[in-house]
Amino acid sequence: MSAQGVQLFATCLGDLVFPEAVADADVLLRQAGFEVEVPRRQVCCGQPAFNSGHRKAARRIARGFVKAFSRSLPIVVPSGSCATMVAHYLPELVGEEPYDVWELSAFLDRHGVEIPRRNEGRVVAYHDSCHMLRELKISAEPRRLLERSGAEVVMLPRPDLCCGFGGTFSVRQPEVSVAMADDKMFAAGAVGAEALVTADPGCLMHLSGRSRRVGELQVVHLATALARGIPAAEAAA
Amino acid sequence: MSAGGSSHELVQPKERFREVARGKLGDSGIQGAVDLSTARLRGHRLEAWSELGDVQELRERANQIRMKAVRDIDLYLGQFTESLEARGGHVKVCATAEEACAYVVDVCRRRNAKLVAKSKSMASEEIRLNDALTAAGVRPVETDLGEYILQLAGEHPVHIVAPAIEKTKEDVARLFSAVEGQDVPAELEELTQSARRQLRQVFLEADVGITGANFVVAETGSIVTVTNEGNGRLVASLPKVHIAITGIERLVPTLAELAPLLQLLGRSGTGQRLTSYTHVVSGPRREGEEDGPEELHVVFLENGRRNLMGTKYEEMLACIRCGACLNVCPVYRKTAGEAYGPVYSGPMGAVLVPLLVGLPNAASLPHASSLCGACTEACPVKIPLHELLLELRRDLVEDHVASWRERTAMSLWSFAWSSVLGYRSSTFMARLGQRFGAKLGPGKAWASGRELPRLARRRFRDWK
Repeated sequence: MSAQGVQLFATCLGDLVFPEAVADADVLLRQAGFEVEVPRRQVCCGQPAFNSGHRKAARRIARGFVKAFSRSLPIVVPSGSCATMVAHYLPELVGEEPYDVWELSAFLDRHGVEIPRRNEGRVVAYHDSCHMLRELKISAEPRRLLERSGAEVVMLPRPDLCCGFGGTFSVRQPEVSVAMADDKMFAAGAVGAEALVTADPGCLMHLSGRSRRVGELQVVHLATALARGIPAAEAAA
Repeated sequence: MSAGGSSHELVQPKERFREVARGKLGDSGIQGAVDLSTARLRGHRLEAWSELGDVQELRERANQIRMKAVRDIDLYLGQFTESLEARGGHVKVCATAEEACAYVVDVCRRRNAKLVAKSKSMASEEIRLNDALTAAGVRPVETDLGEYILQLAGEHPVHIVAPAIEKTKEDVARLFSAVEGQDVPAELEELTQSARRQLRQVFLEADVGITGANFVVAETGSIVTVTNEGNGRLVASLPKVHIAITGIERLVPTLAELAPLLQLLGRSGTGQRLTSYTHVVSGPRREGEEDGPEELHVVFLENGRRNLMGTKYEEMLACIRCGACLNVCPVYRKTAGEAYGPVYSGPMGAVLVPLLVGLPNAASLPHASSLCGACTEACPVKIPLHELLLELRRDLVEDHVASWRERTAMSLWSFAWSSVLGYRSSTFMARLGQRFGAKLGPGKAWASGRELPRLARRRFRDWK
């Protein structure tokens, strides 16, 4: 791959809460030989408003996305749900043509990017974020990348179950939301995973927030797991 | 819940979902029972679907058949009526629950009925028919095992296919022992025998039998019920009067078009290729026939369904009540059915109930979902359930059912984030104020069970 350019969409959660994960995505793309542009005017895709029914608010934010990103380079997103928003909903919302948008792991896998073997001997479970699994149909790619990093990827007993984030659902039904997170982390522990890896900052914020509270499993963004390896258990949480 | 009208029955006070759900989360017995049962039903469906060859094509075909009927409901209603009346049956279309209850009570009165045997019918739950019958001095007895258990317990179905999904065999043994006045062991065989002892007389003595209908076929004027326990067949054939109650949307144009729907219904509901009984009734007893009811009535229930026709929610009327969406729903799995209200639960309930009773009367239901989309994937007739939930959320906002506070907050936020400057300054302020985040509103709800996210000292954009 000779210096193909890509635009990196950090996403709002990536930018504000998980900048290291976005930086890891940036590193992965650069190491793979891509020229990474980070459009300065980017903010958010509007998903939080869109998914709670606030179309006007969502449109206002989505227009900012349209202004920020160019049509000439593919957009890579380290977030399954934001990639879904941009791929499936945003164009119709603002009356635009579809974007050439990629979820990070699908992009890396598609380009056969070499993954450093930083997870040799580590046992991890991968958590499918719902939009990525059902709307983008991406489930094999992140697991394949983790395996190529040397990790053993164990299957969760019910990989189809949502972790309970669900945007505003997490604060409208906090008890149910948290119980769903507990089930997910219990399942990961039960199959012997040292860490739960996800490619969605929403799930990550929710699961790691719960994990920090109850001191259980470490939850890691896929980009971090690939770029720097799963942190040693002690360092986490 | 007040008795009587359906609109009262389905109305869902705003905080009810959360309150009931909280109780269910703390009950490990219910958690275990619902997890086990839904997982088993889901597994059976997936296995049964995998035998179907091209299940996606079949789903598409089923959707087309259902929508064909829904889009031309009056045509098929007319065909059905003509066909059934020609063979001596009676057809009554009821706009409201009250009207439907009154019609059934009237038939019972005319026949001097004291005892009604019922087989499973969600439509009868929807109109709270048992209350109306009881008030009129008629004793209704549920004969579907699950429904019978709930009737004894004084509870409502929590699953549209497996109504007593959260009851253990110990719970059932306690209820049956009380009826029999002797200890019934908590063994499946013993419990079945006990239910038989209790229900046999009801079948024999009932003056009127009331069933639901899984489908009604316009072409032949037939009522189709799909059951496993055989009670439906007894209820529809032993008493002198048979009343079938169903939503107007359950019409299917022809018998040929019924076949693909039957192929999908059993497989999607319980994983069965065919349920034990598929009962097709096309009229009352004819001269020279030895059994069957003297009188047959089909009560079609509108009760808000017409509001959906020709709207973006029309596809909800394609629902065949198989329960597949409940069995895959991670929110149903944790909350069980009661949180959704006393009749319809899970994703189909969360979509249907607000449409029947109006959004202000069930405003929490469209948000009782994480929008994971598992329901849409599992629906045998391809109803885009999670997309419909999203549409309902949109209507909540646009019809100003969502609170003023929520709408203002979203507006302000979107204005702030529509420019980079606004984004930078608002997130800078948010970082300064973040230690107060757990004190109020959504932050407080979040922090009740999770650590709040820490806004990074340097945003990603500041690194570059």
